[in-house]
Parts: sequence; structure tokens; C-alpha cells
Amino acid sequence: MSKLFQFIKIIRPGDAFIIISFLAIIFWAISRSWNMPSGQYLKIESNFEDPIIFSLNQSANKNISGFLGSSVISINEGKARFVKSPCTKKYCIHHGWIDKVNQTIVCLPNQITISIVGNSESYDTVNY
Amino acid sequence: MHFHKFLLITVIFLVSCGQKKPVHEYKDFIFGTIVDIKIYGETEDKSENISNLIFNDFKYLHNYLHPWEKSLISSMNKTLASGDKFHVDDKEILHIIHENKILASASENYFNPAMGKLISMWGFHQDAPEQNVPSSDKIKDFVANMSTMDDLHINQTTLSSTNKNFQLDLGGYAKGYALDRAKKILATNSISNALVNIGGNIMAIGMHGDRKWVVGIQHPRKPSAIASIELPSGWSIGTSGDYQRYFMADETRYSHLINPQTGFPADNSQSATIMIPPAKNSGTLSDVYSKPLFIAPKLKKGQLADKLGINFFMIVLADGNILISSKMNQSIRWLEKNHEQIISIH
Repeated sequence: MSKLFQFIKIIRPGDAFIIISFLAIIFWAISRSWNMPSGQYLKIESNFEDPIIFSLNQSANKNISGFLGSSVISINEGKARFVKSPCTKKYCIHHGWIDKVNQTIVCLPNQITISIVGNSESYDTVNY
Repeated sequence: MHFHKFLLITVIFLVSCGQKKPVHEYKDFIFGTIVDIKIYGETEDKSENISNLIFNDFKYLHNYLHPWEKSLISSMNKTLASGDKFHVDDKEILHIIHENKILASASENYFNPAMGKLISMWGFHQDAPEQNVPSSDKIKDFVANMSTMDDLHINQTTLSSTNKNFQLDLGGYAKGYALDRAKKILATNSISNALVNIGGNIMAIGMHGDRKWVVGIQHPRKPSAIASIELPSGWSIGTSGDYQRYFMADETRYSHLINPQTGFPADNSQSATIMIPPAKNSGTLSDVYSKPLFIAPKLKKGQLADKLGINFFMIVLADGNILISSKMNQSIRWLEKNHEQIISIH
């Protein structure tokens, strides 16, 4: 106890200033990240609807209208996939689940893309 | 009192660090693929207007150059196939044909836009290819009379062909050419920071704020990027891969990238990515010249890259090993760590 007292005694106003400032910054940074959901999102884009962003932290099926008709996209606790599509080859369904930032499935015939987006994207676009 | 002031200033400073100028993004489905335009630092109205100008230009080009639906090119092909001459007074199409002759010849015809008939035999003249391997006799016959751009003769505004197999297919050219047109539209409308992506063929204009635009390079066998690279202003990047347009038959992959020397889909590569510095036709070159590097035999690839003046290339070979130029290797950032891959630097 006496050691703590001694420590407090040697603190000068400048030290206190720095300690309090840093505590404030840490508190601010934590509270900021607290408000930000840790999960990632699913972005669905279609030429026939406005882009929609869903949280990946849910289990749900979404109906999205495209060029040929309605596609069903399933979101299941952090991952997403096409489950129904009016296209002929069903490549979008065979693709299976995506769960990592920047992964994308494109259904060209029905003109719908789904992609996982995160808080920080490591690149602006993809070359394929 | 001073403490409070300091804290307030710190917080304001940190908050302002997190603020960015907006990037407006627009997408459309053209050329049978996705076109994605990002514009940095402009108002939403202006970004949307200019993106629509570009989309409309691409739609016009697509209808004009389409290899199998009704277009100027398909009627030219029909007329030439019947042995007749085709008259065209359109300066742009004459320029395009002329440029295709030059590019095909420079690439030793590994880029061969004159073999539309062969592409069609393989079923790639449909939006979703059928699983149909043509008979090897049919292919042999075609290869024996392989059509090249040299078979097309231009006499002022009159075109004629000396090979019945000749059929122009600009599928390996149109998207790159469209990028060069987009560059002009952006410049005329004084947009100085944009990124245009036509089905993986990308051109960067300016920067994303205080950093360069960054492009992820698709892994040919995984749904993620293998690497990323900064694309400086005016540069273009293009990839030819066997993972977008292909079909599987008897557990063999048949891609749309057909080797003119064999008549069969090239099978020594999974993908070939090239980066082209600023030039009048930088977009075109990034689209066209990825084909020869994909198709040519493994030992010929480096030599062909030198001949074509391509200093930035990365080729994922069929066995998963990577052939990369030293300049590309210096600029690339690997995202996928795979210790089984052998990376050889050219």
C-alpha cells in the first residue's frame, strides 16, 4: 500500500496528463469497436432490385428477383449460398457456401451476385 | 481544464482520421458478364451519370461486335463465308480489324480472332456452353485449313476472305477495347479517379484517395484471391482462365481458350494474368495478350512474353506451379500461402 502511495507521490502533472489521455483513448477505442458488430455481411446485388446487405449472423432464406425469376439465397450463421435459381445450369447452387470476405458467387443467367463483405476489404476489385 | 481540451482535440483528430471520401459503385450485366465501375471523390449524381454513359457505350459495343447474335460482325461473317465481298464504310470497324491483324501476327497467331467457327464447334457460342466434344476428325479438318487474320483482305472499304473457315470472333478483344473507350469517356468528363472492371479485365484511373487502387487476383481453383497487386493510374490488368467458361466431360476440363495449333482447349495453364502500363490501347493489350501466354506451351511462354513486351505476368500452370516475371514478383502481395507450389521467376 505504501508503495502505491509512493508511486502516486512521484507522479507529476505531466505524467498524469499522459496516463489519463491514454486511458481515455483506450476507452474510446473499445467503446467504438463495441458498437461495431463483429460479424460480416452478405451483399446481394441484382439488376432488378437495389443492393441489399444482410447480417450473416442469422439463419434465413431470402427471395431475390433476377432476370429470369426469383432466386433463393440461404444465410446460415456466418455463411451463405444459393439454394434455388431459375437458371438452367445451376452453377450458382453447385458453388456451395461462401464465408470469407470478398468471396463472391455470380449467377450470370439470373444476373444476381452475392458476396461476403467485411469491415475492411483488402482490395478494391477482383481480376478473374 | 487543459486535460479536457487535449482529450477533445485527440478525439476529434481520431474521428476525422476515420472519415473517407466516398467511392460510388455501379454494376451492370454486359458482354455476358458483370461490369463494375467505382468512382472516387465525385458526387453521387455525377458518378451515376458517367457510369451510365459508360454502360450505354458498352451495350452499344456489345451489340456491334457480338460474335454470334445479330451484329455487324455476324453479318460480315455470313457474307464472307458465302464467298461474297463485304463492304464496310465504318472507320471504327476497319480500325478494329486492322488492330486485330497486327495483334494476331505479333502473337504468332496464339491470339487468333479468325477462328470463330472452331469456337462455335466447341459449343462456346452460347451463353452457357453445352458439354459437347466435337469429333477429332472434324477438328483435324479445321486445323488443316486453319483460318487466320491473314486470310482477311482489306481493300479500302471492301473486305474479302480467302479461307472458307474464316469467322471473326472478337470475344478476346472486345472487353479490353471497351476499357480503352471507358478511359476516354472518363477523361472527357474530367473524372480523375476510377476503377473499371469488365468481367475481370480492369483499368485503373487515378487513385483511391491517397493510395493506389488495389486488385485481387482470383485463385483459379478456389473461391478467393491468390494475391493482390496495386494498379497504378493508367495501367490495365487482364486474366485468361479456364475456370469461367468451360465444361467438364469424362472428368476432363474443356475451357474456351482453344489452342489454334491443335484445335483443342489449351490444357497447360489454369490462368494467365498480365499487367500493361499506360498506353493508348493498354486495355486492349491486357485482354488480348493474356491469351497467348495462357495457350502457348510452357517453355514458350516466357519467350513470347519478351517478344510481346509484357514485363508483368503471372501464370498458374496446370500442375499448380507458378511462373512469374521478376517485375510482377516484386509488386505482388501473396494472400494464399501454399508451400506445395513452386514459384519460378522468369
